[in-house]
Formats: sequence, C-alpha cells, structure tokens
Amino acid sequence: MLTRRTLIKGAAVAPVAGALAVRLPSVAAQDTPIRVGSKNFPEALIIGEIYAQALEAAGFTVERSLNLGGTVVAHEALVNGDLDLYPEYTGTGLLVILEKTVADATAASGAAAATPEATPEGGFGPVDTAVYDFVKAEYEAQFGLTWLDQSPMNNTQALAVKRSFSEENGITTISQLWAYGQENELTISAPVDFEEREDGLAGLTATYGETNVSVNGVDPGIKYQALVDDDANVVLAFSTDAEIGFYDLVVLQDDGGLWPPYHVAPVVRQDTLSANAGIADALNAVAPLLTTETMISLNGLVVGDEKQEPADVARTFLTENGVVSG
Amino acid sequence: MGLLADAWHYIQENPDKFREALEIHVRLSLYALIAAILIFVPLGVMAARGGWLSRSAVNAISALRVVPSLAVLFLLYPYRRDLGDLLPMFDRSFALALIALVLLAAPPLVINTDAALRGVDSAVLESARGLGMKPAQVFVRVQLPLALPVIVAGIRTASVEIIASATLAAFIGVGGLGRFITSGLTLYDFSLLLVGAVPVTLLTLLAEGGLAAIERWLTPPATSQTAV
Repeated sequence: MLTRRTLIKGAAVAPVAGALAVRLPSVAAQDTPIRVGSKNFPEALIIGEIYAQALEAAGFTVERSLNLGGTVVAHEALVNGDLDLYPEYTGTGLLVILEKTVADATAASGAAAATPEATPEGGFGPVDTAVYDFVKAEYEAQFGLTWLDQSPMNNTQALAVKRSFSEENGITTISQLWAYGQENELTISAPVDFEEREDGLAGLTATYGETNVSVNGVDPGIKYQALVDDDANVVLAFSTDAEIGFYDLVVLQDDGGLWPPYHVAPVVRQDTLSANAGIADALNAVAPLLTTETMISLNGLVVGDEKQEPADVARTFLTENGVVSG
Repeated sequence: MGLLADAWHYIQENPDKFREALEIHVRLSLYALIAAILIFVPLGVMAARGGWLSRSAVNAISALRVVPSLAVLFLLYPYRRDLGDLLPMFDRSFALALIALVLLAAPPLVINTDAALRGVDSAVLESARGLGMKPAQVFVRVQLPLALPVIVAGIRTASVEIIASATLAAFIGVGGLGRFITSGLTLYDFSLLLVGAVPVTLLTLLAEGGLAAIERWLTPPATSQTAV
C-alpha cells in the first residue's frame, strides 16, 4: 500500500533501501524499514529488542527508536506515524490512554468480575480477555492502531512475601493474607504514596475488608531491602520485578481482582500491518514465550549484577527458543 | 487559596494521620537537636582550647557539609540493624534517621562554638585572670557568657536544618510530615504536598524565631551596641 506517508518515508530512506534491495533480494517485506519503539525502562527495552530481533529474523529491516520517554510519548509517536509499533501493557492502554476502567471493559464484554478461579495458570481469565478485547477495539476505532496477541506475562501491582512466610502460613492469595492479618500484624513495605492512592491501601481494604495492616512507607529503591531485613512482612511489588527472583519471593494472587491486568503486546499501526502481513505472524509467534517467570529472569539479567545489555538478553532468549538461529 | 483549602480539608478528614505525622516530626527533630547540642557544643569547646589537631577536626566536620542529607540516610540504610542496636529504645528506622540528623547538625554547632570562644577579646580574658580568677572561672563566668550568643546562633542554624531535613525520614519508613510531601509529589497532588510543607515551614519559623529571641536576650548590652 502506497500512502502519501510511506512515499515520503520511502524517499527519505531510499539510499538505504536501495542497498538492501541488492543484498537481500528475497526479503519478505517491502523495502521500508519497520520502526520499533519502546519506553525507557529495562523491561520495555528488553521487549522492544525481542520484537525488533524477531522481525529481523523474519526478514524485515528494522529501525529502532528504543528508550522513548513515557507512555504518552510512545503513543503519540505511533499515532503520528513516527513509529510502526511498540510494546504496551493492556492495563496502561486502558487506564492511561483510553482513560477507562476495568469495569468499563468487563461491562463491554459481559464478563463476570474476577473470581479466585478466574485466572488459569498460564492462560487468560475473563478479565484479561475483556481488557484486551476492549483496548484492541477502541484503539482500532479511535487511532487506526491495533494490538497483536497479548503475552501471558502480567506486570501488575502485586503483594509479595518471603517464600518461608508463604509456606509456614500457607498463604498464596491476598485473601489468605488478610485472614492471617486478623490474628497477626501485617506490615507492607511500599512507596509512601501507597497510603494515599485509591488503588493502594484504600483499594485493598475496599476489596478485601479490614485487617490488621500498616504501611512501612519507604523510597521505592529500598522497599525490597525493608522486607528482606524484616522491617515488613509484605512488599508491594510489580509482578515482573527482578527482585522477586533474586530474593525468591512468592507473589500472592490478587483473587479479589483489585488490580487490572497488565499483559504486554505489540501495538501496531494498522496501515503498516496491512502492508506487511508477516509482522503479525512473527510477533504472535513470540507472544506466548513471554511468561511472568521468564520476564522476571530476563529483567534480572539486565538490572542484576551481570548488567547485560537488553539487546544481548533478547538475542539469547530468542536463540534458546529457536526464533533466531544462534 | 484553593490548594490551601484542600490541604486544610485533608487535615480535617484525616486528623489522626496528621497528628501522628506531626508528632513524629517534632519528636525526631527535638531529639536530634538535643543530642547534637550535647555532643557537638562540648566538641566545639575542646576544639577552641586545643591546638592544630582540633583545627583539623573542625575542618573535617566542615567538610561534612558537602554530603547531602539524603545521601547520609541512604548510605547508612544498609547498616541500620547495627546502628539501631546502638539506640535500642527506638524503632530501627527512627534511630537511623536520628543519627543522620545529628550528624547533619554537627557543622554549625562545632564551627560556631569554636569561633565564638576564639572570638572573645583576649584583653577581656587577660583582665579576668588579672582579677585573680582561676582558669575554670574565667571560662564559665567570662568567656562562655560572651560566646553564648554566637553558639545559640549555631543552634538556630542547626535546628532549621534538622526540621527541614526530617522530611527526608519519610524515605526510610519513619513517616513524619515528609510523607505528605513525598506522596504529593508522586501523585501530582499539590494540596497533599502542602499538608506536609506548610507545617514544616511553620515549625521552622517557630524554632528560628524562638531561638533568635533567646539569642537577643543573651547578648550583653555592650556587645549589641558594638555590633550595631
């Protein structure tokens, strides 16, 4: 498809594209590179690299604009046509871009509210599906963007405890933690604003009821240290934080469905997709490989002592999974 | 005014939370100031009476000024278990914040005490000795009273620094008024920020004004005239 935009872009990259056309005559895609973006934190950079390298393995030429600012910057770049795709979280698309709630999404799909059995292991529960379907439909209608398949990995807010604490007290869900709090003291190590925000302590109390809980408000950089040193027995985590792996923590299931799902998926311009059908196949093949456990360990390689480059971590991951040949 | 009204509304809605934060803030600042005075004013006295060794000690303490208070808190954080054992009557994080604030108050106290005592006119000390006073009497009845206004000025500086920096204790789980400031910044809720910032400002002004009054009261009439 030759729109005015691709013509202009085509002119801009003509020398590069010409050179590639000589060396790669059988390239699966058209000669315009696919511009892959990402936000500016380690996980976003890793996933951005995974998408870029998976596309390269499928024969596309890729131009990287990784390390963009926040959500709004990446989204605007995509809408304006400065990017073709970037990894986004379903919950972020719902709350930040569309400014809707999980209730809006479930109402649109007619799904029931989350129940303890709602999220089968490794699959998607009704709420995950409802949010995904909702953002996909709204993005297509409002922005000319669409979402490819979502990954099982879910980077949402979560409560985590030490494995020994979980095993000694038989606690794997927030409901069980709250029941434990009826007889014992719970202290949550969290950034100080956790006590003020609606989806913080107030949200927990509204969803799970009253219990014996207080917050040890600390700087985000030391919240895990406070748990490890027993200043607190619960930590407010993001569920793909590398520290969950480092300290062998147990992430408690949000069985009351307080926090929305944040599954990652490529958000793609629809015109790019219709001109390059192979993009969907290449990235949908990678999507199921990204589980929460995998993401924790990939994050660990980048932020931990090894300090590996996101590009190297992505290459190793794709090689091990046979997406690219070593 | 809308922001201030919202801040006031928040305090009325959460009186217990606010009172607890205020109490922690005042307690932390007061303990830190008292401990710092008890430790560093005598150190300043020793420095003023000592030789080159004490001079280097004063210089080393002045160098402390370049370390930001937040850095002190985070540098000490991993050792808070050991530091907490030094002050078992307090909660671990509270003890750590207390130690950091006491260290922060060292430069103004030591430097002012040292400078104040050295600044007393040697002719005055000479005539006191000429009157037959023993060295201890010269110090207690002549040198210290004359130096006191400048020492109190140092206490004033230290108290302002302590009250303002106690807001940083919110980063290590102590709470205090800083929790509202930090939360307000994170959530872009500026009325919440004022719930912490306005009382901190008022406390600072109160300490500043009170100590300035003491300082004026302590200043002998003669010196205040020459000062003018």
